[in-house]
Amino acid sequence: MSDPINTSADATEFPPELARLPPGRHGLPREFVAHNQRERLIAGLAEAVAENGYAGTTIAHITRHAAVSRRTFYEHFNSKDDCFVAAYDAVMAELRSRVGEAFDQEDEWPQAARAGIAAMLEFLRAEPHLARLSMVEALVAGPVVVERYDAAIQNLVPYFQAGREGRPAEVLAGLSPTTEEALVGGMVSLISRRIFAGRIEELPALLPDLVEFTLTPYLGSAEAAKVARQDA
Amino acid sequence: MTLHQRARIIAAFAEEASRKGYKAVTVAAVVKRARVARGTFYDNFSSKEDCFLAAQDFAMSSALERVVAAAGEIEDWPQRVVAGLAAFLRYLVEEPALARTCMIEALAGGPASVEHYEKSLQAFVSLFQLGRDVSPHAGELPETLEEAIIGGIFWILWQRLLLAETEQIEGLLPELTEFALTPYLGAEAARGTLDHFNKLAS
Repeated sequence: MSDPINTSADATEFPPELARLPPGRHGLPREFVAHNQRERLIAGLAEAVAENGYAGTTIAHITRHAAVSRRTFYEHFNSKDDCFVAAYDAVMAELRSRVGEAFDQEDEWPQAARAGIAAMLEFLRAEPHLARLSMVEALVAGPVVVERYDAAIQNLVPYFQAGREGRPAEVLAGLSPTTEEALVGGMVSLISRRIFAGRIEELPALLPDLVEFTLTPYLGSAEAAKVARQDA
Repeated sequence: MTLHQRARIIAAFAEEASRKGYKAVTVAAVVKRARVARGTFYDNFSSKEDCFLAAQDFAMSSALERVVAAAGEIEDWPQRVVAGLAAFLRYLVEEPALARTCMIEALAGGPASVEHYEKSLQAFVSLFQLGRDVSPHAGELPETLEEAIIGGIFWILWQRLLLAETEQIEGLLPELTEFALTPYLGAEAARGTLDHFNKLAS
C-alpha cells in the first residue's frame, strides 16, 4: 500500500543522530558539531523529562544529560518549551516514517494497517523515553505542543481511511465521518495508558487487540480477528 | 456553609482553569471569583493542586451521576448505552468549565491529575463491560475492547473541547453510539438501537 501521507522525502533520521560524540577534540566540521549538539540537547531533554517529568525539568538537567554548556543550549533554543517542541517534532517525524515505511511494504490494506500498528508499538517499546515524551508529557508541555500532539494523532487517520476503498456499500454505510478518528483515539488511548503506567514493555502484546479493534469496522469481526491473530 | 463554600471554590477554580489553563491559575484569582477569603480556600484545600484534583473528581463524578440517573434503570443494555451517552454529552455542554477541567486540563496537569483521569476513565470502562452479557460473540471480543471504545469516545470529545466546538458535541450522539455498540451487536443492530432511542425521545 502506498503511504497515504507521504513523508519519505523529509523523514528525519532520529536515533542514529542521537549517538553522542566522544568527548574532547575530534576535528569534526563545525556545522556537524552544531547539528550534533542540537541532537544531543534533544536527547538530553528526553532523558531529563523521563527522570523529572516535564514540569520538573530544568535547563540545567537538560545540559547535564547532553553534556553541553548552558550557553550552547541558548545557541540552539530560546527556552525549555522551544527545546521540547523540537524534540516532539523529531520523535513524531521518526515515528511517522517508521509507520509509513511498514505500511508501504504490504500490498493489501489489512496487512498494511497491521504492519503500521506493529511498527508504532515496536518504536515506542524500543524508545521508552521518547514514548513517554510523545504520548504523556506532550500534553503537559503547554498549548503549542498540545496542538502538535493533536495534529500528529490526526495524521494517523488517513492510514485507516484507506481501508474504506473497495468495501461494499453496506459496510461503507455503517461508517461515520468520525469512525477513523475514534479508532485512532481508542488506539492511542490504549497505548498512552500503558506508557503512563510504566508498562511500556507490554506494548507489542497489544498488537492483536489493536488490529482487531481497528479493522472490524471495515472487515467485520471474524475477518478482522483472523488478520489480528495471524503470525507476523 | 462549608460545603457551599467548597462548591463555590470548585466552580470558580474550574472557571479559571478553563479560561487560562491550569498552570496560569492563581489561588488569588480563584478566591476573588468565588468571593471567599484566602483563609477559607486553605481551610478547604491544602494547595492549588489539591483544589484542582477535587474539581476534576467533582466534575467526573457529577457526570457519572448524570449517566447513572439517565440510564441506570433501563433494562435493555443497548438502550442504556445511548441514554447514558446522551446524558454524558449533555453534561459536557451544560458545564463547559467543569468539562474542560476534567477532560483537557486533567491531562495537562501532570502525573497526579492524569492518575485521577485514568481512574475516572476506568469507571466508564467497567460500566461498559456489561455489554459482554448481551453480545452474541462475547467470547471472541478482545480483552481491551472497552478501554479502546471509551478511549475513542474520550478522544473525540477531547478534540471538540480543545477546539471549543462545544455546540457540536450533542450532535455526535449517533456516531458515538454506533461506534460503541457495533463491536458487540453488529452495525445493523447498533443503528436499530439508535432509531428506537430517537423514537422514544421525540
